[in-house]
Amino acid sequence: MDFKNEVISLLAEICQDDIVKENPDIDLFDAGLLDSFGTVELLVQVEERFGILVPITEFDRDVWNTPNNIAIQLADMQ
Amino acid sequence: MKLLETIRNTAVTLPETLAYISPSEEITYGELWRKSEQIAAYLLKQNNERHLPVLVYGHMDASMITSFLGCVKAGLPYIPVDTSIPIERVIKIINSSQAGMVINASRQEMVMDNPTVSVVNYDKIMENQVTEVPIDPSNWVYGEENFYIIYTSGSTGNPKGVQISAKNLQSFVDWMVKDFPITGNLRFLNQAPYSFDLSVMDLYPALATGGTIFAITKEMIERPKLLFEALEKSKTQVWTSTPSFVQMCLMDPTFTQELLPELSVFLFCGEILPVAICLQLIDRFPKAKIFNTYGPTEATVAVTSIEVTAEILATYQNLPIGKPKGDTRILFVDENGLAVQPGEKGEMIIVGPSVSKGYLGQQSLTEKTFFHYEGEQAYRTGDAAYINQEGLIFYKGRIDFQIKLHGYRMELEEIEYHISNSKYVKSAAVVPVYQNDKIDYLLAAIIPCNHEFEKEYQLTSAIKKELSEVIPSYMIPRKFSYYEELPMTPNGKMDRKKFREMVLQ
Repeated sequence: MDFKNEVISLLAEICQDDIVKENPDIDLFDAGLLDSFGTVELLVQVEERFGILVPITEFDRDVWNTPNNIAIQLADMQ
Repeated sequence: MKLLETIRNTAVTLPETLAYISPSEEITYGELWRKSEQIAAYLLKQNNERHLPVLVYGHMDASMITSFLGCVKAGLPYIPVDTSIPIERVIKIINSSQAGMVINASRQEMVMDNPTVSVVNYDKIMENQVTEVPIDPSNWVYGEENFYIIYTSGSTGNPKGVQISAKNLQSFVDWMVKDFPITGNLRFLNQAPYSFDLSVMDLYPALATGGTIFAITKEMIERPKLLFEALEKSKTQVWTSTPSFVQMCLMDPTFTQELLPELSVFLFCGEILPVAICLQLIDRFPKAKIFNTYGPTEATVAVTSIEVTAEILATYQNLPIGKPKGDTRILFVDENGLAVQPGEKGEMIIVGPSVSKGYLGQQSLTEKTFFHYEGEQAYRTGDAAYINQEGLIFYKGRIDFQIKLHGYRMELEEIEYHISNSKYVKSAAVVPVYQNDKIDYLLAAIIPCNHEFEKEYQLTSAIKKELSEVIPSYMIPRKFSYYEELPMTPNGKMDRKKFREMVLQ
């Protein structure tokens, strides 16, 4: 699995919804799939699985809003 | 009432001391007192029947606390309702509380069809000429009269209002001021919205000691960058939050003593405090003391406490909730209401002056959980616990379907009730999914009606949208899954045990 797909399946696990895979351009916050606590879980998992440390202050909802965009941001930090 | 007198003293002797800081404004004790006088004068002019509560709607602006004090100075209890509560639920609260009036302190319109009470905008009250005569303290709420009423999740699908009297609150505040190192005009952080009684843990102890409240808004929690910018400027000395909130902050490496150099006390309440969080805090804030507390809304915020020292952390894998406050007893009973042997697990019964008189307008519900014990008010918590030989209490979970998620308390049955009301749902069950003894998320298991959605996720979004209009977002389960049938017990109720085994396979 490439990196982008790994990120998207992690998001599907955290959001507990396959819509993340079907529509990777969905706004996770508008759709109610992710909230502040989901964000914390996501960043914990990102550190554990990919070894990327994202300070929570870097996580801006305007940029980290869709599965595709989150994958792009994380790829940049790899 | 002593608390109000203390606030008045600060307003008179130190009128320029800051009482409240929010992103939109800062107010001093002098202004707090003067503005709340104006609100009290307005309410007294309306000839409201004494004791009918006033619902105060808004978020973290200073207008919220000036309204609270205005209400109690006019002899009326207030019901704090945060803007995150959907309007339909607000209407339920208005109806069930028979509120005499709504103060809208939110600076946004409250859209209600045919409201049964008058809604007055905060700014409108402030436009009126200030009365020259101070409000006579004989108008203030006192003794057994209600000071505030906080609505919490109820298993029937309707929220229930916990009545907290002036006496209840005074007992709580006296304990906080006496037993915690929080006196001396300190700076208090307030993370919790006012509809959640964790906010009372910083609001009144701060006001009772001439302290200053620094408010955290939901915009900051949504955008941690703003939160950290605010924290850096906050000069926080006393930190009060849920463990979940501090855990979120710990996700950032800059959350250290350098960010908050004056921080001296962490107060936690609302959910289980994990050892791992305390270890990180001790490492990053070597100068700060950490306190764990426990208590239900029905006993005024918290009734037990313990300082979590390095020694405590080395001794216990699961932290104790501590010892009861001086004026309160905790009994441990079995299912027949008989005391268990010391050290054995039992349901906690809280007995003392901070125990509420009961749920507003809900006699039978009140009689089920409140009673008199040796001349004092007592409350059956539904929380299981045991006490060890040193007198420390250890929490061991619920004996019913109430849960806590990120510090928010809710009844699974209430969530089920609302999901079952959806036009897409035949029947539903909600089960918590655990990870390491902590609820990770809620799972809604649903038998759907016939529907025209192509994909399950579309059905899920449709149901979630309906839910968002009736319950706060923290009560909406994260995962929805669909079944043709659910396991039932012989008496026709959902068999949760079987179901849990089924989904957790």
